[in-house]
Amino acid sequence: MKEEKTEVKGALGNVYIVQRIATLVAVVAMFFPAFNPAKVCELVNENLSLFTSAISYSSLTSDCARAFRVGWIDESVFILLFVASIIMLLGIILAIAGGCMSVGNNKMQKTGLLFSIGGALLIIIGAVLCIAGYTMAQGAAKVERVKPEFPSAIIIYIVVSAVILLLSAFLYIKLPKPAKDAKFEIESKYKLFLMFMPFAALAFVFCYLPLWGWRYAFFDYKAGSTLSMDNFVGFKWFAYLFQNAATRADIVRVIKNTLAMSALNICTSWLPMMFAIFLCEVKNMRFRRFVQTFTTIPNFISWILVYAIALAVFSTDGFINTFAKEFHLMSEEATGHNYLMGDSFTWVKMWLWGTWKGVGWSAIIYIAGISGIDQQLYEAAEIDGAGRFQRMWHITVPGLLPTFFVLLLMSIANILTNGLDQYLVFMNAQNKKTIEVLDLYVYQLGISGGSIPLSTVIGMFKSVISVVLLFAANGVSKKLRGESII
Amino acid sequence: MAKTAQEKLDEKREKEYKKTHKKIYRTKPGDVVFNVLNYLFFILFTIICIFPFYYLFINTISDNGLVKRGLINFYPKGLNIDNYLALKGVNDLGYAFIVTITRTVLATALMVVASAFVGYLVTKQEMWKRSFWYRFLVITMYFNAGLIPWYLNFAMLGLTNKYSAYILPAIVAPYNIILVKTYIESIPAELEESAFIDGASHLTVFRKLIFPLSKPILATVAIFGAVGNWNSFQDSLILMQNNSQLFTLQHRLYIYLNQSSNLGAVMSMGGAAAAAAMEQALNAKVIKYTISMVSIIPILLVYPFMMRYFEEGIMLGAVKG
Repeated sequence: MKEEKTEVKGALGNVYIVQRIATLVAVVAMFFPAFNPAKVCELVNENLSLFTSAISYSSLTSDCARAFRVGWIDESVFILLFVASIIMLLGIILAIAGGCMSVGNNKMQKTGLLFSIGGALLIIIGAVLCIAGYTMAQGAAKVERVKPEFPSAIIIYIVVSAVILLLSAFLYIKLPKPAKDAKFEIESKYKLFLMFMPFAALAFVFCYLPLWGWRYAFFDYKAGSTLSMDNFVGFKWFAYLFQNAATRADIVRVIKNTLAMSALNICTSWLPMMFAIFLCEVKNMRFRRFVQTFTTIPNFISWILVYAIALAVFSTDGFINTFAKEFHLMSEEATGHNYLMGDSFTWVKMWLWGTWKGVGWSAIIYIAGISGIDQQLYEAAEIDGAGRFQRMWHITVPGLLPTFFVLLLMSIANILTNGLDQYLVFMNAQNKKTIEVLDLYVYQLGISGGSIPLSTVIGMFKSVISVVLLFAANGVSKKLRGESII
Repeated sequence: MAKTAQEKLDEKREKEYKKTHKKIYRTKPGDVVFNVLNYLFFILFTIICIFPFYYLFINTISDNGLVKRGLINFYPKGLNIDNYLALKGVNDLGYAFIVTITRTVLATALMVVASAFVGYLVTKQEMWKRSFWYRFLVITMYFNAGLIPWYLNFAMLGLTNKYSAYILPAIVAPYNIILVKTYIESIPAELEESAFIDGASHLTVFRKLIFPLSKPILATVAIFGAVGNWNSFQDSLILMQNNSQLFTLQHRLYIYLNQSSNLGAVMSMGGAAAAAAMEQALNAKVIKYTISMVSIIPILLVYPFMMRYFEEGIMLGAVKG
């Protein structure tokens, strides 16, 4: 909403920009638990944002059941806080509407400013109610249990909404009065942008906002506690990663697994191409489509289901063992061998599962590529006496190489990313050492183990290296083929 | 439409191929060997791909006594569907089903509409700072902050252990937006222009013209989205830690699979306890098979019909540029 206006120019335009930024601040702050004006005492969950407080009374009072029952604090305080949150939410929504309308024509802007003024007033009312809630909390029956604390967010909201209020009022006075018969209009380019904005917001919240979580790497954070300057540790965890011998050994092992499995995949990334080339030598179209259909199925089932299948086939009472027993390759009473346990050939096993799941699907792109190759080339080669394999090698393979090259570069860029699911499901006590890849290690360290800062640091390294690799791959591609892959 | 076109093309190619190649190939013995080996390889590989599914299936519909003795290997015996009926008694499976089905439908529907709409918007050159905003979306495909910050973000937004954590992040899908955008760009611009001349707004043009015209690609995107949602596991595993009612089917299956008592350990116990544990473990095995089958069946059912959409998707993705 902080875009430039073409109609309002000069000083007024700048005022508009400041007003929009103020609105944006209020909107963004609404989603951060750190800026929740309703958090007037310890009983309000610290992971609660203003937005959540306003839409869900049960979340607001989630930690209060005991307090209400025992009578530490009167429930009316929370009802008041809830109402205050709703009023602030409404105010922010009005301010958003006002901000959106500010890209319209004069009439639109004038009305939009009224919205902004109304919104700012509502926010201030809500903030005052929050202060009232704070005062009430101070008078609670058991203050030492309730622990009232004045949320600084109230000040922020009051300042921001005062800015919005003053600027909007100023603009309202300065802007010329619209003609009586004027219509509400927004220029097409802004209209399109306004329609796009909600989606940009979603992308921001779920794809860009996580970067804000990188700050945990600089704190001594334990799950459930809060971040404050008290536990700020600077680069301690970065150093820890290299100084702590156990962690360092873990990292080396995990990186080795990651690189080995990625390397196996990269070294065999020509398999789908071969699969496609040989499948295209099959002249019966019906058979070809049949093979294509059934070899792509495994690609569409989850790794959990692949594991379920692995259990059904390879576990102690799975197909391999029962088959051997039925045909007396193994005595009836013998305990079957569980092929999924044990840590021998883990890398190869994982690679085999990945290939089983993916090769048919990856071949599709090459099959399409083959049908795009000029048939005349083959005919000419045939007349020149080229055999089947010569045609494959001299016509089909060069025709597919550009596609292969792009996919190869992409897989090199993704060398540190093997995914979590496959290794998580196939992991067991025996193969843990050889199966743990970077993604799995981060998951175990952070989610299961609770070492949030350390796992964040590792994730940061991984993200940065991946991006560097991606750009390097892109550079290589640009240099060699004159085409960008991203 | 596309399928028949594809088939026609296939047939045409086949005929041409036969015309040009027949004589040469029939005569060479080396080619016969090659063809036999080639066919054999693909038959074998296809069997490897589908046999496990078949094996699971026959074990779920056979007599459990025979399954326990490991006698069901190639064809079902003692057909019955008791195992499927027995699923009613499995704890929490009902919730998992409801959650998975509703999230698949909801998230896919929203994602498809959003992809179509955003795909349409980013084709409009006159949008304010269009190329910046387009890149803003596309760049998210290549970069992520990492698993832990991703989780902390949900925690910060108060979305952990909430159903909406399944839906909201799924709405904007950059890859699908690229697919739709590429497709919309191939629709003749004159169609739109004439609608604008008639005074239609962007929304009307989208609703009445673009959306219906881009149905083929939307079907592709919908299928991809639905499969992804149906298979989703990580979000359930990490975000729903304290709300087991919201576990997805895959997550439940993962839990059941991991409950598997190690049969070898059980057998070494000996005596009646071992027999009982054995009995239980084997029943659990069949139930696991059945749950797996139930999670696979929707995909297998949808799959053959959707094959062409999948292929279209991968092709369009390849030419995105």
